Amino acid sequence: MKPGAILMENVSLEYRLYHDRAVTLRETMLNVFNRSTKTELFTALDDVTFGVEPGEALAVIGANGAGKSTTLKLLAGIYEPTSGIAETGGRIASLLDLGVGFHPDLTGEENLMLNGSLIGLNRNNMKDLIPEIADFAELTRFMDTPVKYYSGGMFMRLGFSLATAVDPDILLIDEVLAVGDARFQEKCYERIWNFRKKGKTIIFVSHDMNAVSKLCTRAVWLNDGRIKKDGEVEAVLSEYLEGVRSKHDAAAVSPKEWGTREVWFDSVTIRDVSGTPAGIFKNGEKIVVDAVIKTRLPGTVNDVVFGFSLHRPDGEIIIGTNNLEMNEPLLSFSESTEAGIEITLDVEEPGSYILGLALTDPQARKDYHWQEFFYPITLLDARIDPPLRLSNVTWKQC
Amino acid sequence: MSNWDISRLRLLMESLVSKDLKVRYKRSALGFGWFLLKPLFSMIVYYFVFTRILRFGGAIPHFSLFLLTGLLPWNFFSSSLSASTSSLLDNHRLIRSIYFPRMSLPVAEVLANLIHLVLALIVLEAVLIIFGHTPGLSIVLLIPAVLLFTVMAAGAGMILSIGNVFYRDVKQFVEVLLLAWFYASPIIYPLDSIGVNIIESPRLLQVLRFNPVAGFMEIMHSILYAGTWPAAWCWVSLSAWSAVFLIVGSAVFRKAEPVVVKEL
Repeated sequence: MKPGAILMENVSLEYRLYHDRAVTLRETMLNVFNRSTKTELFTALDDVTFGVEPGEALAVIGANGAGKSTTLKLLAGIYEPTSGIAETGGRIASLLDLGVGFHPDLTGEENLMLNGSLIGLNRNNMKDLIPEIADFAELTRFMDTPVKYYSGGMFMRLGFSLATAVDPDILLIDEVLAVGDARFQEKCYERIWNFRKKGKTIIFVSHDMNAVSKLCTRAVWLNDGRIKKDGEVEAVLSEYLEGVRSKHDAAAVSPKEWGTREVWFDSVTIRDVSGTPAGIFKNGEKIVVDAVIKTRLPGTVNDVVFGFSLHRPDGEIIIGTNNLEMNEPLLSFSESTEAGIEITLDVEEPGSYILGLALTDPQARKDYHWQEFFYPITLLDARIDPPLRLSNVTWKQC
Repeated sequence: MSNWDISRLRLLMESLVSKDLKVRYKRSALGFGWFLLKPLFSMIVYYFVFTRILRFGGAIPHFSLFLLTGLLPWNFFSSSLSASTSSLLDNHRLIRSIYFPRMSLPVAEVLANLIHLVLALIVLEAVLIIFGHTPGLSIVLLIPAVLLFTVMAAGAGMILSIGNVFYRDVKQFVEVLLLAWFYASPIIYPLDSIGVNIIESPRLLQVLRFNPVAGFMEIMHSILYAGTWPAAWCWVSLSAWSAVFLIVGSAVFRKAEPVVVKEL
């Protein structure tokens, strides 16, 4: 294969999906008898064929679960196709998950040496490149600091800087460009632009249609693992956006989840004020949202905005706000933190509503985790309970 | 796939091993010293148990030194197995975000432990000489024996690392297995290598020889402790078992690798 060329020929990839997966031997033994574990073959990619010429910039777009990331993982060599041929020519740099090989106890420089060998740099290369990588990440001063003391942004910056330090023929990018602050993001885009100008092949997966149309010349639209459309970027994008809009009306309220998951809702419980999990609330009753929030970034993640929304079943948003908007303090999370919101509502119109939650960092333009249309709740009128209440009573003796 | 030639692979192994060693001794006051202290402590424990309580150790002169010739390699074997068992699972994010030969993960754990073993053996040899156990010519066989044993550990590590992805019980099971395996192996007692017969029943002796690590342990006793040439059956056992573990281990690993990546 020519360096920079890609060929996917009739590629299919199947996963085994476990419903209630048996993780221990005991469970497996039990399941042998009652056969309750259902495994199901899930086709992530179904007979996908496309070729990319060296120097092309191709966007892969589609809804969540359409097979975009799977495509990148196939091209990166992480997955092997169940059937078909996936071939790439030349050296690949994959920006699928930044800084993932970093060990928290090792310093920046030690981590660069270790991870450089993973992406295929030799030692001399690495010695020359380290100052450059540190400089681009703006972390020269911190090279001898263990990376567990880095902020989330610093960590990602170093990851990006390393991943793009090799001179690849093919660059695979999976929505990792929410790196650091706005200025650093500029820098990242600039570097990627330079790769384009140098005639490197770029495969770009993103939900940011703006970025897609700027960077790419061609787009492949995946839908349920199949190619729906492959062609010039503007044409594919407009058709895709059209499709999204019409679909939005039809299935307005199916639960949706997205985000970088650097910080995520590990579990959420909706309770009433006594602490019992509940789904029905009376007018004026406090709705308590208890969440366990975890992060995979090292150290503490600061300045997190925790928001919520309430939608009507037809998808119309009624309320949506967050701690930033309400001038409440921003939140900080480390490895696993419990956080919550207490909401008191004045109900004008009783009925079913759907609560959504979000963790974001608007300053860094990051969506960590959104759960929209996620938690159905029922709101009731201010029912008076008991049905009678003493208003006033006096005793007289005549 | 991007070309993983020998030099690239070597660098990867070096980096993984040096990472392992660095991480292990970060923030540890005694640091590298632990590779000696751990077997030393267990030696002291076994020494007291088997000379003061069970008393069979009295039959073996310099029983503490005899213990060390078995305990050091066993420590290498058991920590290699436990470390490689969780090696794939611990690196699941890495495996799912970049391609590299994944077999390097369990193997790197074994090699990191091998470095400890080699250093510990050098110290042990010095001590043995001080106490009059001067090695014979047979010491040249130490290197091939340790290499074959390393191959065995790596093969076993590959199987266990894969197994642990499918069933988390494997990790627990390995701990129990290692305990039983330890007593079934000629570590705290010899079979027939040093001219002291602890095991009287010839049938039991035959059974114990079948243990995959028995050959290697007896080789260590012969070479290091007794300074004699190891018996032929030891070499047959060690080479055969190493070949079996390597072939089965790498076959299992290669076969399961594409599935494991999706399961992680």
